[in-house]
Amino acid sequence: MLIELLTKKYPGMRLWLAQRLSAVAMAVYLIAFALILVAAQPAGYQDWLELMSPWWWRVFTLLFFTSLVMHAWLGVRDVFKDYIFNIKLRAVLQVLVDVLLIIYLCWAGVILWSI
Amino acid sequence: MPDMQQRKRPKNLNLFTIRLPVNAIISILHRMSGMVLFLALPVLIFALSMSVRSESSYLELAAILQHWLVKLFLIALSGAFFHHFYAGFRHLAMDIHWMTSLQKARLSSRLVLCLDVLSVIAFTYAIW
Repeated sequence: MLIELLTKKYPGMRLWLAQRLSAVAMAVYLIAFALILVAAQPAGYQDWLELMSPWWWRVFTLLFFTSLVMHAWLGVRDVFKDYIFNIKLRAVLQVLVDVLLIIYLCWAGVILWSI
Repeated sequence: MPDMQQRKRPKNLNLFTIRLPVNAIISILHRMSGMVLFLALPVLIFALSMSVRSESSYLELAAILQHWLVKLFLIALSGAFFHHFYAGFRHLAMDIHWMTSLQKARLSSRLVLCLDVLSVIAFTYAIW
């Protein structure tokens, strides 16, 4: 039953699940980040850089941003569908949001890998 | 004379006389806070880039964050974040059919509001 809900027959279910999974991923990352900040007490630029620079932490951070973009895409999409009734205007705004989110993700990747 | 009768119907278009139930308040705030966080995203990514680019840009960012207006912005943003975070957990709980009766849903809504306020107070205390 659950597996059938995730097949192509019900595309909305996959998006629904993606929204939840990305939320859980972000929550795990943010709680871990808060605990690390409390434990490490970074003071100043060098500490901060040391905290952010391990390759595995950058991978997790990029996964966080990927989840964020996925989550924001689904969320903004729902809001637009509920409040913007002009289909053309909605389509234009949605493309704008899509482009922005892709730019944000690339931007975050560039920042993380230039540390 | 149905037309006359229709015209005499009492109208209640004053939105301030309609009180939203607490669950509806939590729900609409979840949407609004989500949009606020989306709109604030470029500012936050820019701050991240400043914090790691160089020591001078790090110090510049630290100086900007000391400004009271920036702190007010951060406190407002923290309110949006904490609400979206806690109300999101409430959604996830309901997705797994936990706390779904009306009474429990009201209780969890009030809990979310309390956590919001406490978290924003703690955040304000921490940065000021």
